[in-house]
Parts: sequence; structure tokens; C-alpha cells
Amino acid sequence: MVATVERAPALAPVRRRAPMRRRQARTALAFLAPALLFFALLFFYPLLRELYTSLFSGPRADVYAGVGNYTKAFGDPVARHAFWVTVQYGLGVVVGAIALGLVLAVILNQRMRGRSVFRGILLVPYLTSIAIVGLLWRNILDPDTGILNRVLHSLGLPTQNLLAQHPLATLVGVAIWQQVGYTTVLFLAGLQGIPELYYEAAEVDGASVWRRFRHVTLPLLAPTTLFVSVIGVISAMQEFALPYLVTQGGPDNASDLYVYQVWKTAFGFRDFGYASALSYLLLIVILVLSLVQLKVGSRGES
Amino acid sequence: MSERHRAEHATAAPAPTGPEHSWHAGSPDSAGPGRAAGWTRRGVLGSAAALGAGALTACGGNAPSDRGGGSGDRTFTLYWNAGHGYAAYTKLIEKFESDHGITVNWQKFQWPDLQTKLAADMQSGQVADLVEDDGSGWPLSYAATGDAYPLDEFIAADGEKIGYPNDWQANALRNSRYQGKTYGIPLHLTCNLLFYNKTMFAAAGIEAPPSTWDEFLAVARKLTRGDQYGVALNSDPGYLSPWMLQNGVQYWDPSTRKVMTPVPKAIEAMRFQHDLIYRYKVSPAPSATADYEGPEKLFVAKRAAMMISGPWDFVPIKKTAPDLDYGLALPLKRDVRATNFAGSGVFIPAKARHKDLAWDLIKRLTSLSVENAVTRETGVTMPRKTWAKQSWVQQDKQVGAVARALAYGTSWPNGIDATGKAPQLDDALRSAYQSTIVKNGDPAAAVRNFRAAAAKLVGG
Repeated sequence: MVATVERAPALAPVRRRAPMRRRQARTALAFLAPALLFFALLFFYPLLRELYTSLFSGPRADVYAGVGNYTKAFGDPVARHAFWVTVQYGLGVVVGAIALGLVLAVILNQRMRGRSVFRGILLVPYLTSIAIVGLLWRNILDPDTGILNRVLHSLGLPTQNLLAQHPLATLVGVAIWQQVGYTTVLFLAGLQGIPELYYEAAEVDGASVWRRFRHVTLPLLAPTTLFVSVIGVISAMQEFALPYLVTQGGPDNASDLYVYQVWKTAFGFRDFGYASALSYLLLIVILVLSLVQLKVGSRGES
Repeated sequence: MSERHRAEHATAAPAPTGPEHSWHAGSPDSAGPGRAAGWTRRGVLGSAAALGAGALTACGGNAPSDRGGGSGDRTFTLYWNAGHGYAAYTKLIEKFESDHGITVNWQKFQWPDLQTKLAADMQSGQVADLVEDDGSGWPLSYAATGDAYPLDEFIAADGEKIGYPNDWQANALRNSRYQGKTYGIPLHLTCNLLFYNKTMFAAAGIEAPPSTWDEFLAVARKLTRGDQYGVALNSDPGYLSPWMLQNGVQYWDPSTRKVMTPVPKAIEAMRFQHDLIYRYKVSPAPSATADYEGPEKLFVAKRAAMMISGPWDFVPIKKTAPDLDYGLALPLKRDVRATNFAGSGVFIPAKARHKDLAWDLIKRLTSLSVENAVTRETGVTMPRKTWAKQSWVQQDKQVGAVARALAYGTSWPNGIDATGKAPQLDDALRSAYQSTIVKNGDPAAAVRNFRAAAAKLVGG
């Protein structure tokens, strides 16, 4: 009896809450519906449709090929080359942007005059359209009419044909130039979240500047570094605009990045099935890389 | 060189595409009776369906409005090159609209974007009524997949009246015919020829432009001094073609399915260009950029005395260096005096909704009066023989020079698009050419590598 008496008040609210929760759920669903619809129409459907297309070949993607496009990709020297070029590009851009961004963030984190102006200037390339960036650097690097060689010439230095001699490294440099402002801002935010107390304590213990950076700054910036590297890897693996605008993958395919190759396969060679398969393989690679990075990052944090 | 190789390159990312959609906004809700108030399943589904329908309507709004079909469809969709929206064509299209009571949805793209758009269109089945192509053989490529419409019926009815094909330069028709049928009509016809700086020539005591490769090399050496080059070569592989043709090299032989024959001649032509840069140092090494404007920049900056180019550079030169005194010479000669045709054409996609109207527009676009109007307005040269023979064309300093050079023109692609592998072959050729011209590689290896790649793609 006692138990019944005790249960009664507990059950009553449950009965009352259930319709409320359902109402809340419906309301939530109603508000979420546009977003869900948006994702369903513009994300999930194309994703599934692309998976379907990847199982076909021919200019109209109407000849069933099963997993043929996927097995073809593994034996395709052009795709392998493009993937390898992309890995080099991605490593260069991510490592370069993180290293340079961290250095700049540490510098700009000091109390100095014009700090806000420098931060603003650093962000300008990131805010500039990639189309403009591509055209800008194409003109700057032109061996005969570009500013770079004029400056080198006026300084008595040998002129360069960077897009012919080091096309991939040059694209990496342009990408770092564009992205480093964003990376710097993220690291700055991370730096400003580190309590001053830690540095004071380290200083009292006699830690040098390097040791403070090594044992205080870097570990506490780990989440920011993880975020920047994950975003950077995803972005670098998907790079299309720079090779398209600056080098068209040349010379002699030296800067033929993977997504540019996918685009050529789809819209140039009209092989949508194979291009879809290549895209899916890239999706898998990016997913795996991101998961590995997150796993490693979470270990580091713990 | 086809116009695709000297196209105004796009800066925009390619338009997204997707397979044909067959959406249904929703099905009737068979759930139980709804509630009087609050959100019901029916309500949510209904809203979602309404939103979905709205979204689809919005998507439809972006598509050309002639896609609806039916007798009420009064929109004609025309895909065009962005640089070819001339006043003469605008006027013609306005007349076409009023004559037929139709609205022309005139969409203009840079060549690479137009190529992307077409590929997406053919995949989705939603196509324009008439398309300008880059003159290299797109109609053949689309004919091979059943995506281009044969024009023979129209030509049988109207060909004699409009002078087709007899009044068109015969070589220019090579990229329009597939398996005995005609799929495209040439619209513009241009070619490469030799541009030379008259002031530099006079200063060096050179009285006439070179005519042969040997003379060309001698003049280029004489004019190379300091930071001035005798010639500026292009990194775009399209500029390889005149040298090859002058050395008797055929890009594509349909009977044997082989490329770059005879091989020793092809290697020799490739080596000659390589040597101009790396052995004789009369040309700077071109940059590996996505454009083809490097030589023109050096020419107007008076840092290159000669370049191989075409009428597409007339306007840029006039704008950037109006005082530049330059001359135009006939194409060079090695085994034969020759140059490659460039230009553009028009074709009707197989699924076009207004094929009759498209043919009517083709007839208007290619009439002699319109050709004359366009040439007078822009300097663009034309494929009709009667156009080239006119005295005002012959007497015009620039247009006349191109018209005379057209007599030595031939089709470099030579129908290779019918293989369906032309873009892949172009890509392989770009790689081979750049490995030699930009990266100082072995010309013989470049030709061999290209032939090996071609053998994999098209056999032979």
C-alpha cells in the first residue's frame, strides 16, 4: 500500500509529461524540418545519387559497371599520381599554415602597437575570393611580366620561373599565404584562452621562454591545433580552384590535384561514373584521416 | 589551334551538376484523422511537402524556361561564347525573336565553362536549342554519343539556297561530319599567322618577315638582345599545331587510328620549338599558367619581336599598345606552308525542343550580310568563300591578311573528336608539349609518350 501511495505521485507526472514531450518533439521537428529538408535535398540525395552513379560507366553513366570504377581507380596511374600530388600538397599546406600561423599568433599576442591592424591585414587574403587570389598570383609569378621577377631583377638576384620549375611548391605557398590569416586568428583565440597564471608559475619556476612555449603554450593549444589540422586536411584534399585557375594541373601534370582530376574526368572526359567513384574514394580517405586525427587529438588531450 | 586552346579562361568554379531528378513532392497522407490544434504528423508532412514543392519550383526557376515543353513553350535557349556577344548578333536575335514571337534565352559562357555546362546538360537531358562550339569538333563528340542532331534534312531543304557546303572553305568542314552525316556548321573561321614588330625589324635592318623556318630562326637570333627576345612561344599546346602542319605532320589519321604521323617529322617539329627556347635562347621559356596570353604580353611590351597568334589578339593589342606598329605575315613554311584553322561553329543538341527554329537561326547567323557586319564590327574572320573574296575584305590590312592566310589553313583535329576521346588526347598532348617546352624535356620522348597514351585511348 505504502508502495502504491509512493508510486502514485511518481507516475502521475510521467503521464502528464509524455504528451508535453511529444508536443515538444513535434515543435522541434517543425522547426528542424526546413533544415532537414535542405540537407535531404541538397546533401543526402546527391550523395546517394553519386554513389549510385559511381556504379555505372559511359558518357551517360548508363552502363552498369558494379564496382568496376572503384577497382579501376586503384589501378589507374593518373588517379594514383593525382592522389600522391594531393597528399604532398595537403601536407605542405597544413604543416606550413599551422607553423606560420602559430608563429604569427604568438607574435601578435604580444602587447604591441598596431596589433589590430596587423591582424586585419593578415585576414585579407583569407577573405579574398579564391578566383582573385589565383589570378593575382598568376600575374605576380609570370616570369616575364610579373612583379616578382622585376623585384628580384632590381635586387640583382636571379629571376625565377616558379610555375615551371616548382609548380606544386608554388601552389602550396599561395595556399599558405591565403590561409595563414585564418589559422593565426584561431591560434590567437586559443592563446588568449590560456590563463596568465600558468606562465607566471612557470616563470617563477625558472622556465625559459622556449620551455614555457613548449610545456604551456603548445599543450594548451592542442585543441586549436587539432581543429586547424582537421579542417586544413579536409580543405587541402578538396582543393580545386588553385590548380584550375593557376596551372591547369601543369606543367606535365606536376600540379594535377585529385579534385581537379575528378573534375576533368567528369566534365572534360564525360565519365561521370568514374568521377563519382573517385569522389567517393576521396570521401572515404577524408573520413578516415579526420577520424584518425580526432582519435590522436583526443589521446593528446587526455 | 582550336579556340578551346586560346579561350578566355574562366575564373568561376564549374557549375555543379547532378543526375536527372524525378522528385515527387509527397504522397497523400493516409494517417488517421488529424487533431484540431497543434502540429500533427499530417501537418508536418504537408509542410515538408509544400516546402519541397517550393524548393523544386525554385530549382525549376533557375533552369531555362523552355524546358517545360508543349505548345506553349516560347523560349529558345542559346548557348554562346562570352566573347562573341556582338552587336550584330544582338540585333539579329532581336529580329529572330520578333519574327517568331519567341524569347531567346541567350546564355554566354567562357569556353571551358560552356564545355562543362554541355557535359552536365547531356547527362541530365536538359539541353539548349542551339549551341556555339569552339570549332574543334564538339559536334562530332556529341554525335558519337547520340547527343547531337544531324542537320542533313535541313541541308537537303535549304543547303543550295544558303550555299552550304560549297560556299564554305572545304577544310573547315572536317570537324562537322560523323559517319556520313553533318552535325555542325562553321560560324567563324580564323587561323594562326606570324605577327612581327615592324619597328624592331627596321631597326635591325630586316626588310621582310621570315617565310621559312630557317629564315625565322635567323631573324629571331638577330632580334634577340638584352631582355628582348626574337620570338615568344606559348605554353598552350594548341600553338604546337602550325609547326606540326608545316612539317607535314598529321595529328590524327582516321584510317590507321594513329596520332602524330610521320613520327620523325613530329619529333623534328617538337624539337625545333624546344631548341628555340633552350638551344638558341631566342624565346623565353613559357610559364605554365592556365592562360595563353604570355606571348601577347611580351609582344605589346616590345620584349618579343615576333609571335605566332591569330585575330583574337587584334583587340587586346589595340587596347594595350595602340601605337605598336606590327605586321602580319603568311604562315611559315617547312615542308609546306600551312596553318591550323580555329574559329567556332554551331550545332543542335539531339534533345533540343526547337530544332526548326534553331536551323532558322543558323541560316541567319551564317548569312553573308551578318558575316560582313560581324567582321566590320570586330575583325573576326569568316568561313564563306564569298566573304573572303570580297574586295573590302582583301583590302583591309588585318582582316585581309587573315583571309589570305586562311587559304593555307587546315583542320588540326581532323575529326579526332569522333573517337570520343579527344579531351583525353588533348590532356595527354598538353602534358607532352609542356614536358618539352616548359620543362626542357626530351622532344622525342614527349612525342613517344603521347603516342603511347593515344594508343591506349584509341588503339592504332
